[in-house]
Amino acid sequence: MILAYRDVRIDAPGSHRVRCTDKEEMFTALYELESRDGAPLVLFGCDVGKVSDAERRGLMRRIGFVPANGGLLSNLNAWENISLPIAYHAPQSLGGALAEVHALLNELGGVDDALLAKLPDDMTLYERRLAAYIRALLEAPDLLVVDDAETGLGATKRQRAARFAEVYRTRFPGGTYVEFNG
Amino acid sequence: MLAVYRELEGSAQLLAHAIRRIGVLRVPPVAEELTRQIYFTGAAATGGIVLRGAFIGTLIIAYVIEVLNADAALAVKMLLWVVLREVGPLIAAVLVIQRSGTAVATELALREISGEVASLRRMRIDPQDYLVVPRVVGMAVSNAALTLYVQLIAVGGGMVLAALVINVPLAEMLNYFFVLASPLDLVYSLLKSLLFGAAIAVIACYHGLHPGSRSINAVPQAAIRAVTEALLAVMLLNVIFAYLVYGVAFFGLVTAQR
Repeated sequence: MILAYRDVRIDAPGSHRVRCTDKEEMFTALYELESRDGAPLVLFGCDVGKVSDAERRGLMRRIGFVPANGGLLSNLNAWENISLPIAYHAPQSLGGALAEVHALLNELGGVDDALLAKLPDDMTLYERRLAAYIRALLEAPDLLVVDDAETGLGATKRQRAARFAEVYRTRFPGGTYVEFNG
Repeated sequence: MLAVYRELEGSAQLLAHAIRRIGVLRVPPVAEELTRQIYFTGAAATGGIVLRGAFIGTLIIAYVIEVLNADAALAVKMLLWVVLREVGPLIAAVLVIQRSGTAVATELALREISGEVASLRRMRIDPQDYLVVPRVVGMAVSNAALTLYVQLIAVGGGMVLAALVINVPLAEMLNYFFVLASPLDLVYSLLKSLLFGAAIAVIACYHGLHPGSRSINAVPQAAIRAVTEALLAVMLLNVIFAYLVYGVAFFGLVTAQR
């Protein structure tokens, strides 16, 4: 079992689009790794309510997030936002990360390298989601949780955002991509 | 009463966390936050200090000599006692509260409300390590530097302006200064200003990270609470310091048994 919470059950790797009744609750539970009203939250076969702190941190490391608004820090530019987890946890691999970011930007297309110098307030919604997506991918998550990648975007950007699942699955064939829609 | 206790406890916990986790400043993104904090609190505030410091120094000398009809020795003594021990650290602290205390409380409250703090947690970054530690250290160091700057400007500028305005020889004042100045005064004011800066930072961080509600109205309220409590804390710490080091508090109304 990869993910089970209330009416949502995902038990095999792959790309999944899930329509859940209370998306906000689902995201809060996954974000904080804490369920509401004691409802069991199962991730990678572990009941999150019964694991130790170390195991919790281990679980957190395996999950990547792409919030609908990007969840970026407002005083850091796109590159600083993208590289923040790596610069914090493994600064020695920062050099390789830049090449990876350029590769992902080329692969997804639609934006140039100037994006990396932009502050979140100057970015479009798609650019903020893209930055959050790249930030998540750099940590090679086993489970990538995406909040409505295409909502609020124009037709061209929607097509590009629709490729998030495909690019993730190409890079991490054993991984699970879950996109929640309200 | 319970709220006051909770705020004191929360601020003390943040200070303890900052001291315990000071090593996190070696992590590159935290070091960058520290640099930003020192720039905004210390470097960018120096302009406002110059005029205030020089005016206060001149005022003290002019008041002592012209109004109290004292000699240059007493004027310099007053300048040293008042500026080095009390007014210097207080002016710097008030400036830091006014500029950085409000900025930190507002910024952190906005980050909390907009979900940036939760986002940090999701990146397995402890918000207290990333947001609080560099602000506490940065504001303590910046406040100490600003205090030194105020003291230099107020004492130096005060003596120079007094020599020009009220016709007291500069050489005579300098002579008295070197005779009367004690390293203890500098160490005392340095320690005090470090503590003032740290206290302002933890109070601003506490209110910023606990804005009370998710509404945007909570942001100015957090800033107001931070400023009010930081001013109170600085005044209280000043009294405690004066009592512990010199055995007097409240301008001599309370004295220690010797």
